[in-house]
Amino acid sequence: MATVWRSQCAFARFFVGKTGRILNNAADLGIKLTPESISVSTTRSYSNYSHSPLVKKIKEQYDFEIEKNPPEWAYVERLLPLEIIPPVQPKETYPSGWIPPKEEAKDLPYFMPRTKNHELPIYLVITHKGQRKVSMLRKIEGDIWLMNDLIKEHLQKNFNRYIETRVHELGRFIEVKGDFVNSLREWAYSKGF
Amino acid sequence: MSFSLINAIRKLNISTVSQIRLISSGSTDVSNINSHSNSDLNVTQKEWKFPPQFTKPREVWIENLDSIDEKKLGLFELHPLVYAVLPRIDIIHRNVIWQRKFRWVSWAHTKTRAEVHGGGRKPWPQKGLGRARHGSIRSPLWRGGGIVHGPRSGKTHFFMLPFHLRIHGLTSTLSAKFAQDDLHVVRNLELPTEDPEYLAELIEKRNWGPSVLIVDDNDYAPRNITVATENLPHVNIIPFYGLNVYSMLKHDTLIITQTAAERIEEKILQHLHSNTMPQQAKFKLNQV
Repeated sequence: MATVWRSQCAFARFFVGKTGRILNNAADLGIKLTPESISVSTTRSYSNYSHSPLVKKIKEQYDFEIEKNPPEWAYVERLLPLEIIPPVQPKETYPSGWIPPKEEAKDLPYFMPRTKNHELPIYLVITHKGQRKVSMLRKIEGDIWLMNDLIKEHLQKNFNRYIETRVHELGRFIEVKGDFVNSLREWAYSKGF
Repeated sequence: MSFSLINAIRKLNISTVSQIRLISSGSTDVSNINSHSNSDLNVTQKEWKFPPQFTKPREVWIENLDSIDEKKLGLFELHPLVYAVLPRIDIIHRNVIWQRKFRWVSWAHTKTRAEVHGGGRKPWPQKGLGRARHGSIRSPLWRGGGIVHGPRSGKTHFFMLPFHLRIHGLTSTLSAKFAQDDLHVVRNLELPTEDPEYLAELIEKRNWGPSVLIVDDNDYAPRNITVATENLPHVNIIPFYGLNVYSMLKHDTLIITQTAAERIEEKILQHLHSNTMPQQAKFKLNQV
């Protein structure tokens, strides 16, 4: 039956539309289609999808050669994530208002380095649902007690009242009771940190 | 921490003794150092990628392992952000707890009343005997009955310590070891013999603690030192990427090769100066 089909009206299944061309779904033509009736004829029985002759390995379509360090590599490097946060490029002015640290700050007996993002490590810590505000100066090196005295003096002058501070010598930070972050930043910039 | 405290006290005693010795034989020591400086004492000025700002870099002698008597081969600088931070004992403690816990799976197990054998039948009628009412002899009230809320096996205690606490733990421990004179830098790990007695004598002579952790920058240590340390259970070698707080506290003295000291410093400084958001993100199981 199958041989008759194939020899006499091999393209009959193209007339009946799409169903005739689908493998094993040609019941309306009274014959079961096998892979070989559609494509090349082989005598293997296919138990596996990848053994089907319809499934072919796609050839590499593009020829390429490997090149080390071409001039275009700079454009790729531009897209790669940064290994480290880049150091500051010295400029005349900084339009963002960022203030660079000064060299002479390193001669003081106390020191506060910038964070890795080149910002001052002075923060406002809000706790108790906003009821308690504490300004925190972190990463202090050197004479922390002297720095504490100077901060107190500065705040006393600016706000005309006594302001409580707390020094944590081991943790290298000073806490100032109240929100004095802007004033403390001004003081730190004036010292060159 | 009791380890390091005892160690510190012990080191204090030893240092006073050595000072006395120095005073008594000061002239010879000085001449020794001079003779070395004449021959091959090299003082290297380091090219800092992240120059130390306020705290000065720590200077350390480069020592040798190829003779039992200590020779100073050179002077070396260590970055203060890695080797001279103020040691936070609480962070060191949290690291130790983490290292003990994250690999701990508790296999303690108890059976519930459903799992204890038997107990399906009502032991005696509900009424008429004058006894307490019971439905099963494996009820938790009974001797030999099931356990309520007991440990169930396969309980993991895994968690990850936040990334910067792990970094800070390493720097704290390295700094504490360095401040207590328990960190020594050597040029390389070449030994003249593979005899373990040589190494034991060297450790004894130089007042290195009974237990010694040797850190190299390489997975492959030289043959002599691997053979010598094989039967010394208290002398261990690890590569620099295996350095951890627990092992550093477990051993009294830390011996680091010069290249390993540089690699540790480089890696930690890179983490301290880069964007660490990927490392700080929530730990996912598929990232192992």
